[in-house]
Amino acid sequence: MSISRPKFFSPLAQQKFKRFKQIRRGYWSAIIFLSLLFLSCFAELMINNRALIVKYDGAFYFPTYGAIYNGKKFGLDYEYEVNYRDLRLKFQQDNSDNWVMMPPVPYNEYENDLVEGEYPPHPPSWISQHYLGTDTSGRDVLARLVYGFRISIWFALLLTFFTYLIGVTIGCFIGYFGGWIDLAFQRIIEIWSNVPVLYIVMIMASIIVPGFWMLILILMAFGWMGMTWYMRTATYKEKEREYVMASRALGASTSRIIFRHILPNSLSIMITFLPFAVAGGIGSITSLDFLGFGLPPPIPSWGELISQGTENMESWWILGSVIVALVTVLVLITFVGEAIRDAFDPKKYTIYE
Amino acid sequence: MFKAILKTAVLKRAIAILILLPTIVIAQQAPQLPQDLKWQTNNEAPTFADPNAKTGGTFRTFVPSFPLTLRTVGPNSNTSFRGYILGNQLGLVGMHPETEDIIPELATHWAYGKDGKTVYYKLDPQARWSDGKPVTADDYLFTLEFMRSKHIVAPWYNNHYTNMIKGLVKYDEHTISIEGATVKPQKDLHYFYGLNPTPKHFYKLDTDFVENYNWKIAPNTGPYQISKIKKGKLIEFKRKKDWWAKNKRYFKNRYNVDKVRVKVIRDYNVAFKHFEKGDIDTFGLVLPPYWHEKAKGKLYDNGYIHRAWFYNETPQPSSGMYLNQDDELLKDLNVRIGLAHAVNVQKTITTVLRNDYERLNSGYIGYGDYTNKSIKAREFDLQKADEYFNKAGWDKRGDDGIRVKDGKRFSLRISYSRKEHNDRLVVIKEEAKKAGIELNMQLFDSSSAYKNVLEKKHQIAWMGWSTGFRPAFWEHYHSSNAHKPQTNNITNTDNKDLDAMIMQYRVEVDEQKRIQLAHKIQQFVHNETSYIPTYSVPYTREGYWRWMQLPKHLGTKTSGSLFDIFSSSTGGLFWIDAELKKETLKAKKRGKKFSPVLIKDTRYKAAAK
Repeated sequence: MSISRPKFFSPLAQQKFKRFKQIRRGYWSAIIFLSLLFLSCFAELMINNRALIVKYDGAFYFPTYGAIYNGKKFGLDYEYEVNYRDLRLKFQQDNSDNWVMMPPVPYNEYENDLVEGEYPPHPPSWISQHYLGTDTSGRDVLARLVYGFRISIWFALLLTFFTYLIGVTIGCFIGYFGGWIDLAFQRIIEIWSNVPVLYIVMIMASIIVPGFWMLILILMAFGWMGMTWYMRTATYKEKEREYVMASRALGASTSRIIFRHILPNSLSIMITFLPFAVAGGIGSITSLDFLGFGLPPPIPSWGELISQGTENMESWWILGSVIVALVTVLVLITFVGEAIRDAFDPKKYTIYE
Repeated sequence: MFKAILKTAVLKRAIAILILLPTIVIAQQAPQLPQDLKWQTNNEAPTFADPNAKTGGTFRTFVPSFPLTLRTVGPNSNTSFRGYILGNQLGLVGMHPETEDIIPELATHWAYGKDGKTVYYKLDPQARWSDGKPVTADDYLFTLEFMRSKHIVAPWYNNHYTNMIKGLVKYDEHTISIEGATVKPQKDLHYFYGLNPTPKHFYKLDTDFVENYNWKIAPNTGPYQISKIKKGKLIEFKRKKDWWAKNKRYFKNRYNVDKVRVKVIRDYNVAFKHFEKGDIDTFGLVLPPYWHEKAKGKLYDNGYIHRAWFYNETPQPSSGMYLNQDDELLKDLNVRIGLAHAVNVQKTITTVLRNDYERLNSGYIGYGDYTNKSIKAREFDLQKADEYFNKAGWDKRGDDGIRVKDGKRFSLRISYSRKEHNDRLVVIKEEAKKAGIELNMQLFDSSSAYKNVLEKKHQIAWMGWSTGFRPAFWEHYHSSNAHKPQTNNITNTDNKDLDAMIMQYRVEVDEQKRIQLAHKIQQFVHNETSYIPTYSVPYTREGYWRWMQLPKHLGTKTSGSLFDIFSSSTGGLFWIDAELKKETLKAKKRGKKFSPVLIKDTRYKAAAK
């Protein structure tokens, strides 16, 4: 699906964007959300057990990305990956020129920070730099939260993209050609809609261990129908408009009519639903993880944190942090969605009664 | 005690032995007892009940669901409540909970046949059913008829009593012999072939059996009988006034409470609240969150509720990591030994498991003399792991710190089925990285996990086998079960020397030689390192109100629970002190304090190690 000259920047689109900007709540939510998304792409620089910079014997090392450095590289006696927190401590005690610069949160999402005789989960602490405490196996909650966010948001975005791709294509197709194609597809969709997705996922999860792409595939296979209905209706409507008739009279091909005329004019429907689809995607991966049918452990996920939190209510920081994070993200997305809907509403003022 | 273990243990472990000719030999014509039988009995073993025990009171406990039937065989009968009913059915003989000698129950004497598979029993003429009828040889004969009957709709029992028991002979009203299918050491014969009487005068076997006997209370031989049933709510047991065995040596001063009231409380947490309110007398606290977090506060600090942590010596499930030796990577012995040194079980115990569990040293712990106590699990040691991995050619590490060899990464799947084990596994996974191994966790639901393992598709299976009366080797390590699906040899162990030892172990009748063989096999398995042992829980933990009284030594070596109500081997040792109950309830009302009690009994801890 390619739109050769997007109509985003037509005067109409500009007007819509302007209106979107005027809705301050939605506009700022969008900015915050996009910056969170952007920042999460570089989470390794902020939340990681690998140092940002190590200066050792006059040379600089940047261990964040790429191959690991083993202990012997920095004069330690082991062959596995350096524990940079210990290294920092050692350099400080040695009083040498060597130093280590750690990220603000010096833990990664998998590492168990366990001390003998102290039993996890540990409450939040500034001293240990577990700002949101640890979970039941001693992993940093903040790290799990952030990396979990990155996974679920990308999951939701990709899922939305693929469901749109299928939904829009089929919707346009049956809407444009109509007739028996429409009838046949309607029936197929009706049947397909009745397959219980959760059961399918549960059955799949019990046979194979579903990965990231597998889950997208399953949810996509059963989630494209919603968009199809809307696109079918939109295409039916646009097809009968004069400009379509005009271009057909001018001899435009079917594909040209669909891609250059009908699709761009139905864009508002797709965009209006987008934020809600993304929120739905986050919701599904979180609930699947919560039930234990989602991403396999030990991948960080919000659903897993919620399930840990509900089982360990005494450790309020686990459930507390993930609930706050989940609500924040979903509220942000909803605000954006609302603003987009209003911006695309042809009636500038709507009075609800 | 035998019958209680019999079903689960035999069902799970010894299915393989069942492929024997179904010859039914019930000789009826004036059989003669062999002349040279040496009758034995046991009235010398120490007693284990407290002579100061007082009788009386009602013991209140709970079950998570109301039983679907009171039958103990047939559809829906395998519920947790079944134990309460079977607990009141004595066996022919029992096993002493401390010395593990055979002691009399329904039989007073026993003797062994020359063929090595027949046992002769002299029945106690005093034995009575709860309806007053005597227990006779016919009731034993009827057991065979009953258990082999199609009407009971219990194929497992049909099969077991047809194939494992070859014959039962009645010599007179109080003398019988039972012939088993294969030769076994003498003590084991009782366990494998001993059976319970079934009241012939009570049952009518026909096509309606299953429905007719759903809610009928069958006569029993034990100390209590069901006295009240409120469907869906509670079941009450009453102690028999003139129980025929109440003055027998090993039953004296036991089963002291008058009534046992079993309430249905569906939720464990809710049941705990009932316990803290004083509506339930005792509560099992084995689960760490209960012991460490929930069972705390005023009730305990003021001494109203006592807590006991009692180590026992019972066979431990062989939980651990089973390595599939058919796997390309794991077929190398050095890799397996290296792996055993790269698994940090100890760290999981001292951190996420709160020091509650212990390191299991081998798959055969708690079998008394049969356990080879010299075997110690391999410790986490990166140096040693490194040595063995280098020997196997895995001496280089890739960019991510994982070992590589010929372009392959040292990456293994570890499949498991319990979400609750995530915490342990992530620690083991992270620690194994230090040794240059990647362990990928593969969480299945339990039936898929089991299927995956039985089809031998696993690399490492994180699981455990339940226990039996004696260590079982054939199904787990004999080559005839290797390399094929649906057998319990999930490590695909295939070794001719080991086979020979196992076959010898199976037919050896001399107990000392058999024990030696068991030790040798265990050592061999340890050397092969196809199994990495993980955890054992060699104790029971209980919370109990101050009025609940226990013998001075709390329990016996083999007590699974301190407040076992009925079981003939270790049950009924506790009693209720009515005075103390009054005093405690009064004190609680007025806020008067007693000194808190927290007992940790480790007498049998050293023995278990």
